[in-house]
Amino acid sequence: MIFKILQQALLAAFLLSPGPFSGFAETLPANIKWLSNNSSPIIASPNAKKGGTYRTYMTSFPLTLRTVGPDSNGGFASYLRSNQMSLIELHNNTEEIIPGLATHWAYGKDGKTMYFKLDQEARWSDGTPVTADDFLYTLEFHRSKHIVAPWYNNYYTEKIDRVIKYDDHTLAVVTTKADPDLFLVANIGPTPKHFYGELSKDFVRKYNWKVAPNTGPYQIDAKKIKKGKSITLERKKNWWAKDLRNNKGRYNVDKIQVSVVRDQTTVFEYFKKGRLDDFILTFPTYWHEKAKNLEIYEKGYAKKMWFYLDQRESPAGLYLNQDKEIFKDAKLRYAFAHAMNIDKMLNGLLRGDYSRLQNYSTGFGKYTNPKIRARTFDINKVEELMTESGWKRGSDGIWNKGESRYSVKVTYSFDGHTPRLVLLKEEAKKAGIELRLQRLDGSAAFKSFLEKKHDVAWMAWSTSFRPRYWQGFHSDNAHKPQTNNITNTDDPELDKMIMSYRDSIVPKERIALAHKIQEKIHEIGSFIPTYKVGYLRNIYWRWWQFPEVPATRDASFLFEPLANGLFWMDEELKKETEAAMNSGKTFKPETIIDKTFLVN
Amino acid sequence: MRINPLTLKKIRRFRSVKRGYYSFLLFVFLLLQAFFAELWINNRALLVYYEGQFYFPTYRSMIPGSVFMLPYEYETNYRALQKRFEKEGGDNFLIMPLVPYNAFEMDLQESKFPPLPPSITDRHFLGTDAIGRDMVARLVYGFRISIIFSILLLVATFAIGIALGCLMGYWGGKFDLFFQRLIEVWSSIPFLYIIMIIASIVVPSLTILVLIYVIFGWMGMTWYMRTSTYKEKARDYVLAARALGASNLRIIFHHILPNSISLIVTFVPFSVAGGISGLTALDFLGFGLPPPTPSWGELLQQGTSNLQAAWIVSSTVAALVLVMVSITFIGEGVREGFDPKMHSTFE
Repeated sequence: MIFKILQQALLAAFLLSPGPFSGFAETLPANIKWLSNNSSPIIASPNAKKGGTYRTYMTSFPLTLRTVGPDSNGGFASYLRSNQMSLIELHNNTEEIIPGLATHWAYGKDGKTMYFKLDQEARWSDGTPVTADDFLYTLEFHRSKHIVAPWYNNYYTEKIDRVIKYDDHTLAVVTTKADPDLFLVANIGPTPKHFYGELSKDFVRKYNWKVAPNTGPYQIDAKKIKKGKSITLERKKNWWAKDLRNNKGRYNVDKIQVSVVRDQTTVFEYFKKGRLDDFILTFPTYWHEKAKNLEIYEKGYAKKMWFYLDQRESPAGLYLNQDKEIFKDAKLRYAFAHAMNIDKMLNGLLRGDYSRLQNYSTGFGKYTNPKIRARTFDINKVEELMTESGWKRGSDGIWNKGESRYSVKVTYSFDGHTPRLVLLKEEAKKAGIELRLQRLDGSAAFKSFLEKKHDVAWMAWSTSFRPRYWQGFHSDNAHKPQTNNITNTDDPELDKMIMSYRDSIVPKERIALAHKIQEKIHEIGSFIPTYKVGYLRNIYWRWWQFPEVPATRDASFLFEPLANGLFWMDEELKKETEAAMNSGKTFKPETIIDKTFLVN
Repeated sequence: MRINPLTLKKIRRFRSVKRGYYSFLLFVFLLLQAFFAELWINNRALLVYYEGQFYFPTYRSMIPGSVFMLPYEYETNYRALQKRFEKEGGDNFLIMPLVPYNAFEMDLQESKFPPLPPSITDRHFLGTDAIGRDMVARLVYGFRISIIFSILLLVATFAIGIALGCLMGYWGGKFDLFFQRLIEVWSSIPFLYIIMIIASIVVPSLTILVLIYVIFGWMGMTWYMRTSTYKEKARDYVLAARALGASNLRIIFHHILPNSISLIVTFVPFSVAGGISGLTALDFLGFGLPPPTPSWGELLQQGTSNLQAAWIVSSTVAALVLVMVSITFIGEGVREGFDPKMHSTFE
């Protein structure tokens, strides 16, 4: 009886569900121009050797091994996600499309559809072949209420219209609207249908600690999970994709052991004792002070590396609210920019490690206009601009005009930035502008920005694959709360450019427009770029080896066992070093500085 | 003015407690130097003699560099000017204060990065903090702010506490009962959380901080005053005053209050100490006065995260201990002087 009701319910679900199941009868359109790529530059070293264990840390133990649903977005999730391949991959340095689970791809004429041919060899970690059904299932899975993930529910409904299966190894992904970078939206990953089957209400609990099959180079060894302590990933000896052009020489270590170490100071101590393989020295205080004369470095047992990146930079800076009387005058905005002594902040306080951000959209390749240079500290220019606007210095040296005084509030949220702002404040005083610092709790600060209550906001937006301008600079979002146009920029000319940039799907046109928009943003002067970090710094034991160019253009870490997987362990060097450490023999200290991707 | 002989006696008794008395002198000295700190810790010169004219920049509006033929309109850099005068060797001269820095400017020197260690040649006698500001200046100006804070707090809480406490004790009955319950409820509000919430929404200024502290901290004094008033109310002199037709307010403020004064006075030093440590704690946690206000809590915070620069944390702790201990000694002395426990021994 119960069985029968269930059967009926399933049948109803089958008939009513719109996307995944509706495409069975379709045939592949004729005249498809299949594309592939077998000439992308090789990033890995041919000398790389397999073997060894890479020991790293996480600050807390994950609450689940699911990648969707409650608590699934913690730090460990990146290990799980990087082990799930998608249809196509983007080359780390050139960003050209290279094969992933699909060997070939093609664009549909409607601008919304992308066709894919799956690699016949593609296998899940349990040996099951990856087929088009797994992609149909991705939609069903992510649209399900049982996974308790509203963001995914929404994304796979709003962005992806449907997946069409032509045969086991041919499929199409149809998005809801034409996109200039269709390959970013249509590039979905498979979900193992044979593993999850029919979802039910108990999904969240049932799969909390289950190790799902994956398609990537490593898999978690379920037996070696020490709850609350560590998780170990093991390299698949017969990984189906190990011989793909871009994968040779990568993913070299046999095991990745991720242990819980809660505190940064302890991590440093563990590294020095040899319990971890590397330590990140990005912060100036670590590089210049705490790790400066380290014994293991002086004796040559550990090396340091400074690797410059060319990455999409978040627009970090000062955002001037143009609805405030003082910032309505462009000259006063320029004066403000010239009163910010960012160079002194970078060189006097941050030891010259960070560099000046020049442009709102930095690091977007061709989309970045290289001609734009940020305004520099120049008191004479401030004087000129202010006098032109009819302002005079008062008895305290601050500019005055009638009742108004050039005194503005700068709102920020991160306590560690206080020294930087204090320096800017002291320098701005010389230029006759008073800054009043207001540190608010992170969410309170962000709220006040969105409600446009600030004078000046000290903040940074996150980045996207291509520059975006509508949210931040279009007048649709100006003069009203809860929108991202926190400068209240309202410029008809800019609006036009932004709209054509958004509507265009021709890359060349979009690049030209992006350059013009950046020029306009510079001309408006409501955003004052501050700095970018632009490098990675590490200290690591000397038996770890890297390719000639140690990392990729926009790597997040030097030791990225999954995203890059470029490094490897040299067993002989390890033995030699360990013997030397016992006998007291020393090597020459070594610091590698790589400027392959340095741009300025 | 004639001092009441009883008061004289109390003062004499206070002076006889040497530890408290010397602490009191030390504290007065600290207060005076802090309130005239501009004269010995300042980036402005005390006196400038330039082309036949004297300038006294300390307590006036700023003198732009152009006055001394310097190519800028902002405040004159007197340290640089002094070097220039010395180099030129003319009649012009200027006198800098002992510590030629103020509490805000960062002394960023070439090829050296803050925190800078103590140095007599640079006149950073206690070094600089993590961003290059002079430690002596930060300590002294920070002390001044916390003292002002404590005194404002003291006056406000005592005014409310004494008035309400006296009324509760004097009227008793339902009035007393009502305020007792109100105070109990009010006291159970977690003060630190309130401060944190408020500080995350608005930037607290000195007045706002004092106000918050008063709103949530006026209760302490009421209990003592209530008890003391209850006690005094039952005395004969109150009855006599009432029989003579004195009004309630007159009885409270002219008869009862002066007789409870010793209780109030003994609480003053401890309350000041409480104010200082309260502000320091808030600043340490980052919920106090906005940067770049000089403050001891902020220095402690910097010190603990820069333990390799030991001069930050050690001089701040030393200053804090010195002030707290001297206030405690004063408090002991005052209690001894005003509210002595007379022991008679019979043999």
